[in-house]
Amino acid sequence: MARGWWIRFSLLAALTVVALMSVTPTFLNLNEKSSFPMKSKINLGLDLQGGLYMVLGIDFNKVYRDEVIGNGRKMVNLLKEETIEAQIGDLITTDSQDPKQSVVLAKATDADRAKEVLSKYFGNTIRLTGDANGTLTYGLSRDFIKEVEDTALSKSIEVIRNRIDEFGVTEPEIVSQGTERIVVQLPGVKDIDRAKDLIGKTAKLEFKFVNDEFAASLPEWMDKIKKAGIVFNKGERFSDYVRKVNETLAADLPKGFEIAFSKESNKNTNEITTMDPYLVESATSLTGEELQEAFVRMDQEQNRPYVALEFKANGAKIFEEITGANIGKRLAIVLDGNVYSAPMVQGRIAGGSAQITLGTGDYNTVMSEARDLALVLRAGALPVELVFEEQRVVGPSLGADAIDKAQYASIVGAFLVLAFMCFYYKFSGVIATITIVLNVLFTISCLIFLGATLSLPGIAGIALTVGMAVDGNILIYERIREELRLGISPVEAVKVGFEKAFWAIADANITTALAGICLLNFGTGPVRGFAVTLLIGITTTVYTSYFVSKILFELYVGKGAKKSLSI
Amino acid sequence: MKNIDYVGKFKVASILSLILIIGTIVLYFTKGLNYGVDFRGGVEVQVKFKNAVSLSDLRSALTEKQVAMSQLQSMGDESQNEFLLKLETDKGDLNAISTQVSSVLTEKFGAGSFEILKNDIVGPKAGAQLRTSAFKALAWAILAIMIYLALRFDYKFAPGAIAALLHDVVIIMGAFILTQKEFSLQIVAALLAIIGYSVNDTVVIYDRVREIEQANPGMGSFEIMNRALNETMSRTIITSLTVLGVSLVMLFMGGSVIHDFFFAMTIGVILGVYSTIFIAVPMTVFTERFSKKNA
Repeated sequence: MARGWWIRFSLLAALTVVALMSVTPTFLNLNEKSSFPMKSKINLGLDLQGGLYMVLGIDFNKVYRDEVIGNGRKMVNLLKEETIEAQIGDLITTDSQDPKQSVVLAKATDADRAKEVLSKYFGNTIRLTGDANGTLTYGLSRDFIKEVEDTALSKSIEVIRNRIDEFGVTEPEIVSQGTERIVVQLPGVKDIDRAKDLIGKTAKLEFKFVNDEFAASLPEWMDKIKKAGIVFNKGERFSDYVRKVNETLAADLPKGFEIAFSKESNKNTNEITTMDPYLVESATSLTGEELQEAFVRMDQEQNRPYVALEFKANGAKIFEEITGANIGKRLAIVLDGNVYSAPMVQGRIAGGSAQITLGTGDYNTVMSEARDLALVLRAGALPVELVFEEQRVVGPSLGADAIDKAQYASIVGAFLVLAFMCFYYKFSGVIATITIVLNVLFTISCLIFLGATLSLPGIAGIALTVGMAVDGNILIYERIREELRLGISPVEAVKVGFEKAFWAIADANITTALAGICLLNFGTGPVRGFAVTLLIGITTTVYTSYFVSKILFELYVGKGAKKSLSI
Repeated sequence: MKNIDYVGKFKVASILSLILIIGTIVLYFTKGLNYGVDFRGGVEVQVKFKNAVSLSDLRSALTEKQVAMSQLQSMGDESQNEFLLKLETDKGDLNAISTQVSSVLTEKFGAGSFEILKNDIVGPKAGAQLRTSAFKALAWAILAIMIYLALRFDYKFAPGAIAALLHDVVIIMGAFILTQKEFSLQIVAALLAIIGYSVNDTVVIYDRVREIEQANPGMGSFEIMNRALNETMSRTIITSLTVLGVSLVMLFMGGSVIHDFFFAMTIGVILGVYSTIFIAVPMTVFTERFSKKNA
């Protein structure tokens, strides 16, 4: 044979050996410790091995609000330093995607100087949206909003990953989808509810001082809320309820303060049993970001677990300062917008530690609550609130049943096709069979090397590729038959047949690949699996149906001695 | 080699196709697509009991506890004790509703007496997003194929191929409306696979058309098309039969999860061949004539 042929043949042989080795761990079910050089097995999709698939949407509105409040306070402080008397004005949330904070100047004549100062120091983060009678209104700047969103997204992914890692799931997949969605895939997870709980908890820890001067007004305000028809309904998000409460009372509450609740709920039914309102600062004195460590401790006297917190150096300093400056006030420990406890500050607290006491309940429930709380606090707070937009749980046995049936059908289907090929094209059909078996082998091998996931639609994709691979062979064979009918020699017929069939095969596969690429960009879990196998399948089809067939045919027809072909 | 006048059958074929397409449109507005949970949003729970539980027992257990249920059906054979529950979408937190189902079942039938095989929750927002992205994927695929055909072959080939695959997609959707099978993400994947397959078929014949054109300058386009179709007919038949064979085996033996996917595939394979021969190829003749007339 010619030298070119040997090169092509050696490449094919090498590829076949590598492919065979790569699928060995999967088919012989070797474990990690085996001495076989290749370890990775095929990744089965959630539909095949069971697990949890979730799409989480990010609720940015609260982030915008927090940022705008925080900036408002910083602005007032800066103005004071520049000897411009000012105080926090209204928070305008009519457009929840673009909240605005107003700053009221003591003297309207300071307005120009104030604007100049603020734009110098806050120019990148805020934008002026209103200026009337010494009241300046500021929203967040477009660039800053973008920055806030990007950080929130990447930080959320990082936090979820940390939590999942502590939870212990093998091969979790946590990725962003667009700018405001996160996809979490947890194969093989059994305790779905706990996993969901851990991921969904914002774990936003804040320390806020309670304003007790208005304690007498609280019952009156709560009456007003009830009269306005605002009640908490089961199944609703509690944060939505709190938001509505604050919106309704906006005119009554002193500026810079808002209502937060402490609540207790029945652990079995999740129904809220008691709910107490507190008037707390809107801005936060200290957040969970300053947290160094969180762990479960036991209160020996009451035999109850609690969560002990330790601050980082800077946090400890802030904690010492604020407790020192607010002796006699109550400091609320607010987690995800709910007040956990509000102990009185007895004196300056140095050393940087605090504790969260948990609600009542039986020992085991409180213990597991404490453990999960310490875990999420340690792993970091989510910068945003996440909304479960889509969630799919597949039990392991559905997967097992599905894989058995699909596998069986694929084998029967493939067998029928190959049997037909051998019957119709005789010896050439045997060559086709070899190429198709190689095609499937290469496809699976590619999936393993790329670490791609084989889902159920993926198996369908492979079955489809087999169908299309056969088409490649048929195109060539029909062409060779046509050429033979014209009376040319077998060697020539094979040569011309391959030449003329090439573009038909290439064009047909490229157009199918275009559909596959569109499907891949589609971006949703299970269907992507189909697209990946289809695209890999198309590549291997072109190689096996055309190039491998050619190698084998050249071997078959030899140097031209053959008088007839079995085709 | 036979010499059959395929192109001449265009009139008959187009009338038949038009009837099917108009039928689909009428069905779409009267009966409507049965969107699956993917596109509609909502909660779907598939549950299997260890012991025999009748459909009515389950129904009364759930109704008693006021589970907002919109549909309950048994899956496959009743002796398998497998049920599919669909829950209403607009009542509060979807998560809470699906948790409620498992707690009601535990309370009524005991823990460990059942297994949740599948639990899909799709929020209304996600549903809408999936719908748009599915539509986008289809539209982009068609556009990309059109551009490729125009570049690789000739602009005159593109309209025929696109008409053929739109024809296939529309009629398959008609079949889904008629049988009221669920139109889910998987089916969109099937439609894309069919588009790929249908174009595959068309391209092979176009390729031959081009070859004959180059070898025989001055030959009438009617004759070229017919010759190309006749020459490739044996390949068309063998290929479509093998793909159809695989598809049928998967349809009948592949299990419930991929059943609908291959239901679409099977119809698609048949339509793909039909539309290539009777729509895609003849249309190029008319596109050519039309553009010459206007030139």
